[in-house]
Amino acid sequence: MTRLVAKYAAFSRVAIARACRERGDVYGRIVFFAVILGVFSSLWQAAAEAGLPTATEPRALVWYLAVTEWIVLSTPQIHLDIQEAIRAGDVVYRLGRPVSYVGAELAGAVGVLAVRMPLLGLTAFLCAFAFTGWIPPARAFAIVVPFGLAAAALLAALHVWIGLLAFWLHDVSPVYWVCQKLMFVLGGLMLPLEVYPGVIQRIAALTPFPALLAGPASFMLAGGGVTPATLARDLAIWGGVTAAGLGWTFRRAARDVTINGG
Amino acid sequence: MHPAVELDRVSKSFRVRRAPRPGLGARVRDLLRPQTQAVMAVDRLSFSIAPGERVAFIGPNGAGKSTTLKVLAGILHPDAGEARVLGLVPSRERRRLAFQIGTVFGQRSQLWYQLPPRDTFELLGRVYDIDRRQHRRRIDALTSVFAIGALLDTPVRQLSLGERMRCEIVASLLHSPRMLFLDEPTIGLDVSAKAVIRELLRTESERERVTLLLTSHDTGDMERVCTRVIVIHHGRLLWDGAIAELRRGYLKTKRITLWTEAERLNLTLPGVRVLSSGSYRTELEIALDITPLGQVVDAAVRQAAIRDMAIEDAPLDDVIRALYATAEPGQVTS
Repeated sequence: MTRLVAKYAAFSRVAIARACRERGDVYGRIVFFAVILGVFSSLWQAAAEAGLPTATEPRALVWYLAVTEWIVLSTPQIHLDIQEAIRAGDVVYRLGRPVSYVGAELAGAVGVLAVRMPLLGLTAFLCAFAFTGWIPPARAFAIVVPFGLAAAALLAALHVWIGLLAFWLHDVSPVYWVCQKLMFVLGGLMLPLEVYPGVIQRIAALTPFPALLAGPASFMLAGGGVTPATLARDLAIWGGVTAAGLGWTFRRAARDVTINGG
Repeated sequence: MHPAVELDRVSKSFRVRRAPRPGLGARVRDLLRPQTQAVMAVDRLSFSIAPGERVAFIGPNGAGKSTTLKVLAGILHPDAGEARVLGLVPSRERRRLAFQIGTVFGQRSQLWYQLPPRDTFELLGRVYDIDRRQHRRRIDALTSVFAIGALLDTPVRQLSLGERMRCEIVASLLHSPRMLFLDEPTIGLDVSAKAVIRELLRTESERERVTLLLTSHDTGDMERVCTRVIVIHHGRLLWDGAIAELRRGYLKTKRITLWTEAERLNLTLPGVRVLSSGSYRTELEIALDITPLGQVVDAAVRQAAIRDMAIEDAPLDDVIRALYATAEPGQVTS
């Protein structure tokens, strides 16, 4: 068991080393994050001052957005790595190792998260505080941080799932874009799902997206409808579905694999 | 003792998309319902390799060499037949087999591009459950043999192709595999880098009794690393035997260069082609099945005194080209 953990931890360590070397990528995300929070905090402030209805008080919305963006921006686009490895044929090495291919990719994603989440989390905290001058109660952070980590890990697993489609599709970007746009709407990236029409909320409840974004972020809002227990249940259910889907998809991919150049 | 590799009528086909017919309608139909066709990459291929052998596995592009290697490494599953490597069935026992084989794919990389080779080596130590101290000793030993000490902490993206390839081979040998599959390991390398890689492969294989199966389009790889050659064409076995036998079996010509007292020779013998003549030097190509070599030399001596003479086999490239052109797949010769 220890050996097994050490084996996958090694993939995480390599991913950490790689993420540390690609510092420009993290800096770019930090700048983007700050700009997004700045723009939206101004927007919601202006909307509130103009008397337009907002779901909750603007400063809480900025912290809500800080959490959803923290999860989205921290998650590596691992589907692109998988697609590139399949296109270039390097996947032959990864498939030939005495480890689970999917497990190794997930461990790599966890390594990237280990670098990005603290840095982007700190950015979220500092920017949200700078733009609102307010800090939510410590209890909220105690709930948001572990659920945010779990949600980002699940989102990374979904990216691996999309990446596995590259065994059949030449380009998985369209699949990713569709999922991403659905997640932005049905996951409540910008605004809590409570402000959406009922039909959208009902559709969202059938997808993993609320558990990924709106669920963890709702703890930044006063009176959010999600409890830690229901969110933990939802994440566990969607984690199970994703794990089963990954296993099934990879088994089919391994059976049908064709590799460029022979 | 098990053979290192045993292939028994292994077949593998792929479905490839057929190009649509011209015209908008055909293209729309192709978009909605793409037409595919089966391509037989490996067709009832059988051969076996004894432990410690160094075998060149050659064939023209698309012959099925890489596919066969991937079947043997457990990456691809055969449609029919059975493959065994070191007594294991690769498609069913891939993970167990992975501990005992190494793979080098010349056009692919297992090293993390942005990181130094040392990071990949450390990772592979964990992946193959190698004891830390033993792994460090192994890295030191291979680093010394392959002269990559100065490269260990340089990011892979900054290495030359030859340097990277030496690191790739070290990576594939870290877990002391008993069998090494090499798919075009010298592709794209310059002459000196090729020579280094060939020498290292041969000596390491001899020192550690590692069985080698090597695909290449470069006859130098075969001649300097391997002792046996297996030729496939259209996924089927064409030739299996020693490289020397391949030369003897298919070598119908020899090249002879004569330096003579006379400025030029005028030889008109059947089966003898004058490639160049003049400046006291004559180069001939002799079809040995038509005119024996001695008869040509006698004829030359009758015309002028010979100062020096060189006799060469036709290049192995020519031998193999002749083999591809003349032999019928499935008619195994050895």
